[in-house]
Amino acid sequence: MIRPIGSPNAALLVFLFAWSVSLASGAAGQARLEHLPSPAPSNSSLSRVVANESGEIYLSWVSQDTEQATLAFSRLSSEGWDTPKVISQGNNWFVNWADFPALSVDSSGMVAHWLQISAQGTYDYDIRARFYPQDKASWTEAQTIHTDGISAEHGFVSMLPFDSGTTLITWLDGRETKHGDPLGAMTLRAGIFDKSGANVKEWELDHRVCDCCQTSSAITEKGPIVVYRDRSAEEVRDIYVTRLVEGVWTVPQPIHNDNWEIAGCPVNGPSVAAMKERVAVAWFSAKDDTPKIQLVMSSDSGMSFSDPIVVESPNTNGRVGAVILESSEIVVSWMDTTDEAKIMLSRYDIKGEFLGSTEVASSSASRRSGFPIIDAVGNSVYVTWTDISTTPQVKVARIDY
Amino acid sequence: MPRPRKLLVSQSLLVLIFVAMTTLSYPLTAAEADDGNWRIVNYWSEWCAPCRVEIPMLNELSVRLANSNVMIVGVNFDEDPRELTLEIADEMGIEFTVLCQKTVDLLGMKPPDVLPTTYLLSPSNEVMAKLIGMQSEQDIIEALTLQGLTPLTPFTD
Repeated sequence: MIRPIGSPNAALLVFLFAWSVSLASGAAGQARLEHLPSPAPSNSSLSRVVANESGEIYLSWVSQDTEQATLAFSRLSSEGWDTPKVISQGNNWFVNWADFPALSVDSSGMVAHWLQISAQGTYDYDIRARFYPQDKASWTEAQTIHTDGISAEHGFVSMLPFDSGTTLITWLDGRETKHGDPLGAMTLRAGIFDKSGANVKEWELDHRVCDCCQTSSAITEKGPIVVYRDRSAEEVRDIYVTRLVEGVWTVPQPIHNDNWEIAGCPVNGPSVAAMKERVAVAWFSAKDDTPKIQLVMSSDSGMSFSDPIVVESPNTNGRVGAVILESSEIVVSWMDTTDEAKIMLSRYDIKGEFLGSTEVASSSASRRSGFPIIDAVGNSVYVTWTDISTTPQVKVARIDY
Repeated sequence: MPRPRKLLVSQSLLVLIFVAMTTLSYPLTAAEADDGNWRIVNYWSEWCAPCRVEIPMLNELSVRLANSNVMIVGVNFDEDPRELTLEIADEMGIEFTVLCQKTVDLLGMKPPDVLPTTYLLSPSNEVMAKLIGMQSEQDIIEALTLQGLTPLTPFTD
């Protein structure tokens, strides 16, 4: 029997319906995806997106022609992307889909790095960087940031603004792989550089790490935190964390014991995000040949972590990113390899409850599609990736939550 | 067609010629992908140090397996375009066949998660062994032995 509008039962039904819609919307986490125009040219790749403390978005990328490789960047303003500016160019660069340039930006200036072959006929390469002090408004001459002077592999850099206009740079350093019997292992190192590029301090953080997985770093309420893939003597390659506390780096600890024993390099590093005392770490593993992306959270600046949440398994090849929104919700980016590959964002609340996933773009599982990179401003996530459906080109999107 | 090479006298060099004539730029056809051979499929990358260490061993083993039903082939993990792949392979000193992507697809191969990785494929292209990390000749021989294969012939001049 149809009840007339205005009756008490009808009003209750309308209220309940409206309430359920709002609940569903909140629980599903409506996300608005917008593909932005890209300032990068054709034949561009290896992009990164990074936000400064004012919420301005910067995009960096590498473009190549037959002569040389070029590292450039652009800033997103209210009127769109600024005219791209070149940071550096060269014909002796090491250009690689997994180990690629980074840009760090804050009010004191910028720092950018690229990789340069150490010597012709070798596969060794150095980390070269330029610094842009804001008060000088010009880039410094290129410099090698590691001081070992050894022709070896140096790369997989992460950078973030630190105290008083300095920048914390973390990298994989192969100096030990060139001597010893047996040869030494890849190491993890970090250094603090002032805005003109002078090395303030440097440390070895871990004497034996996985050879070719990206490092990641973030600033917590208690200082910097660095995550990376370790490598034990028994070839267990789990994700470890170390923190700089009162000038001393903590003894590296696993964020979770996957116990993934693997004699090779997965080429899949972890990603860490931090907001005050909250930390999120996402990573890839494939123990027992089962690909998996997991997420752990911390509410004490990385001193301890939750049990892992499985973001996806097994339809993934990793390539993860992690950010924390202003709302304290966590977003993890990853590659979905079900059928055609897709770039996905998955969102979790502060307790780790899954809120929903958003498909950003179709992609390819090919190495040439590289690693999608994300960063957050407020409750928006910016994503950049390389579209290889035709001529490779860097793409950018924004997802508003 | 294989590129012609200058004839040499000794038997060992004739074997090298045979191997050279079938390496690098010669992609397998669909029929050849089903040619009754076992395949040792080595995934490599120029920036992978353990991969580079394996190459001389794989080159030599490829020669020693030339008269058997086991062949060594390589795949560029980075999936660079064919011309660039061959250029990189040449620079790395790879002397065994480097498969093109089309052939990899014909063999039903999926890229591994880890480098270096070496697969042993049966003549029906079934993965019979997956060897992760840097391999020695002994590791590969053991993998073949486990499949009942003893393909090595004495290496004579």
